Amino acid sequence: MRFFLHRLVRAALTLLIVVALAFFILRLSADPALVILGPDAPPEAVVAFREAWGLDRPLPLQFIDYIRAVLRGDLGRSMINGAPVLSLVLDRVPTTLEIMVPSLLCAIGIGVPAGVFAALRRNTLADRCIMAAAVAGFTMPSFVLGLVLVLVFAVDLGWLPSGGNDHWQSAILPVLTLAAGSAAVPARFTRGAMVEVLGQTYIRTASAKGLLWDAVVRRHALPNAAIPVVTMVGFMVGGMLAGAVVTESVFSWPGLGRLMVTSVASRDLAVVQCILLLVATTMVGANLTVDLLYGVLDPRLRRGGGSH
Amino acid sequence: MPRPTDRPPLVELRDFGVAFTDVPAVRALNLRIGRGEALGLVGESGSGKSVTWLGALGLLPSTATTTGQVLLEGEDLLVASQQRLAHVRGGRIGLIFQDPVSALNPIHRVGDQVIEALRVHRRLTGTAARAEAKRLFDRVGIPDAEHRLELYPHELSGGQNQRVMIAMALAGQPDLLIADEPTTALDTTIQAQILDLLDQLRRDTGMALVLISHDLSVVAELCSRIAVMYAGRIVETAPTDALFEHAAHPYTRGLLGAVPPLTGPRQRLLAIPGNVPEPWNLPPGCAFAPRCALAGDDCAARVPALRQVSPTHNAACLRVGQPGMPA
Amino acid sequence: MSLLELHDVHRVYRVAGRMFGARRQVRAVAGVSLMLQRGRTLGLVGESGCGKSTTGRMALGLEQPDEGSVAFDGAAMPPPGTASWRRTRARMQLVFQDPLGALDRRLPIGTQVTEPLDVHGIGSTTDRSARAAELLRAVGLRPDQAAQYPHELSGGQRQRAVLARALATQPDLLVCDEPVSALDVSIQAQVVNLLIDLQERLGLTMLFISHDLKLVRLIANEVAVMYLGLIVEQGEPETLFAQPAHPYTQALLAAIPDRSRHGRRALLAGEPPNPAARPTGCAFHPRCPLAVPRCRDESPALLRRADGRLVACHLAHDTV
Repeated sequence: MRFFLHRLVRAALTLLIVVALAFFILRLSADPALVILGPDAPPEAVVAFREAWGLDRPLPLQFIDYIRAVLRGDLGRSMINGAPVLSLVLDRVPTTLEIMVPSLLCAIGIGVPAGVFAALRRNTLADRCIMAAAVAGFTMPSFVLGLVLVLVFAVDLGWLPSGGNDHWQSAILPVLTLAAGSAAVPARFTRGAMVEVLGQTYIRTASAKGLLWDAVVRRHALPNAAIPVVTMVGFMVGGMLAGAVVTESVFSWPGLGRLMVTSVASRDLAVVQCILLLVATTMVGANLTVDLLYGVLDPRLRRGGGSH
Repeated sequence: MPRPTDRPPLVELRDFGVAFTDVPAVRALNLRIGRGEALGLVGESGSGKSVTWLGALGLLPSTATTTGQVLLEGEDLLVASQQRLAHVRGGRIGLIFQDPVSALNPIHRVGDQVIEALRVHRRLTGTAARAEAKRLFDRVGIPDAEHRLELYPHELSGGQNQRVMIAMALAGQPDLLIADEPTTALDTTIQAQILDLLDQLRRDTGMALVLISHDLSVVAELCSRIAVMYAGRIVETAPTDALFEHAAHPYTRGLLGAVPPLTGPRQRLLAIPGNVPEPWNLPPGCAFAPRCALAGDDCAARVPALRQVSPTHNAACLRVGQPGMPA
Repeated sequence: MSLLELHDVHRVYRVAGRMFGARRQVRAVAGVSLMLQRGRTLGLVGESGCGKSTTGRMALGLEQPDEGSVAFDGAAMPPPGTASWRRTRARMQLVFQDPLGALDRRLPIGTQVTEPLDVHGIGSTTDRSARAAELLRAVGLRPDQAAQYPHELSGGQRQRAVLARALATQPDLLVCDEPVSALDVSIQAQVVNLLIDLQERLGLTMLFISHDLKLVRLIANEVAVMYLGLIVEQGEPETLFAQPAHPYTQALLAAIPDRSRHGRRALLAGEPPNPAARPTGCAFHPRCPLAVPRCRDESPALLRRADGRLVACHLAHDTV
């Protein structure tokens, strides 16, 4: 119980620090009034805007007001259209998930088996090819890949739409772009975990017991390698909401990432902060879950220390 | 009573060799193990004592190549199929390793690990398997067996984990148990318990035992015959008493002198000068010659073959049998 | 006056408990007193968990006892990290089990062997190479090996280098914690002979910690047997090993493999004790074949017998 509370307190503290940092950096970096009203706006309008949004008050007080409001459930209003921020942001979440969930499933569904395969054939040509492909996918900037895919499949071949989210086909290219980049992580990580497990003495014991090699891999290697892999997947899930910014922009996909880009550009502070808070919460929550999950999966952590 | 060496051997290694990408770790090994025999295999690091058995059972990584023959009642294991080898491992020849905690799967309960061996070799499942696992736990001296079956390796001590490994090895009812430094990682009092257990089990089941160790006295307690290895070759084999009283090879004598006695005068030890040669840098001829007080030019000319000191005692040294040398 | 004096030292570790459990206290050393005279070697033997390594670290001032005191050359051991502690450290050195871990992979051993001289500001830098050569020769290495790196040396040579480094500051006290356990048997003998030589030539005072009784018998002037954080028997090695008084010592000796013993000897049953769950009374009583009710109730003190042997056992002193 102490362990759990300790982690929970740390998580809450992390969130607070993230929000505070974002808050101060945003407000210190540029004046929303000038950006939203335009550089030609009359000074009285600017002053009135600032007053209306409470931007003339000292920063620390603004922060306390904000925290108070958040704890009440009020995440503010958009400075552009006055809409309540929370519903604005939450509306976009399903749209982002429409491409993030399939791409995550693809990345893991391809990356993990590829990693296992590479580990079982380590130092062979197959291993090197897979790892090279993984590195290529990882280092290729997603906007380059995205634009190339749009050019080929939307412009030249006309098979798929180039943007928007009108039909389910529009999701294909963004999902592919995202998956190509993120498959590398599970592939490399799984390979690493498997290689480490395969080098352990208990694998040799399993063979010495008379198990055939595929039984050794299935029953002894994979379950042990699965522990770090599952935790890695947990982190990837946590980062889901944050990962689509560039891709959504390339494909004009109206999700959370696009909202973030437009809100930062226009200094729509409340929206940006709300998105940040949401993303940070999911990441911290995923972290916490992963920590607890590790304790459940690995018996060595469950009951602590050896008995003598 | 016929000596083990008179009957056809259970396991015979003929001209057996293991090399790791062209670097030989074991060379031209000839060894016979009779049914029910207890053989001690002694050597220091680099002697190849563990690699021999891992190679014989096909448990080395793909970078290792084996040569010669490993005959299990006449059948050559080196050309056997994977299925056949899997059957032999655990079913005919059992193997236990040095560090029991890391040799057991950390996320499986110890009972399940024994049951897995029972399923593979004796087709036991369900309650029958569990009952047999409990019986094995009792047999190897694990107290409170019913409860301990459910525990994980990290919840047991080193000694208990080694008992689990022994139970697992016995599950397949092997004819030969190879114990590779089974007590090196354990405390002295626990070491005594485990050695005693191995001795009892061997006597009760009629199983043969190969006890691998760097410690001559550990091996001496349990084994009726001892083979000493150096730099990948066997340099001496003899019945235990003969080895201790009339060791013929200078290396064996060096090993015997290197251990402080528990009784007798307290004096400096007889230390062998120099170091064990690296496998890729072996001296020509006798690998021990550079460190040997009796070495001459003839020792570097060629690798000495095993010479007979007595019908049951051989040593690979040119000085054996020469006038003035102890036989 | 003794060079090293430990007076009733205790060392308690707080161990993190299980995920949802409380923390536990582990008393690694539970009241150890010993005195080491100049020029003598005290052997500390026991199995894992007996507290011998922790005692060694407290003797060196690397850890502070939670109770009791440590005195070196008449003065109290300063707390670790202080300037006076660093000065004291120049006079005492530690050699432990893993020679590769004790040496820096990136520096040639000649530099490492004289490093303590740099650290403590002893001697001038100009005579460093001469000093290095001298030290290497003293441990049986060649002076030209000063340019070699640890990975180029064998295990035995590395341990010799570690010894050379330990002797650089001409320490008064050398604490060896399992110095040869990781080495091959034939190399062990070489290093042990070297230690005996150094004992004779330099009049070293040593605290020799090992699980190997045969080795300790050879090297030590006096032996202390530890069990679960306490000394249970102490005396002169020859007689102690020939006629052990404490049942645990008897069990330890009986456990040593020996070819003449084909019949079953009296084996010690049970598992090594868990320091987190100390038995009441005498720590050894749950496993002791001779235990009587008093052993469960009352912890025996370490008392001197008529023949000079120290034993912590009710039965040994016939005081049941």
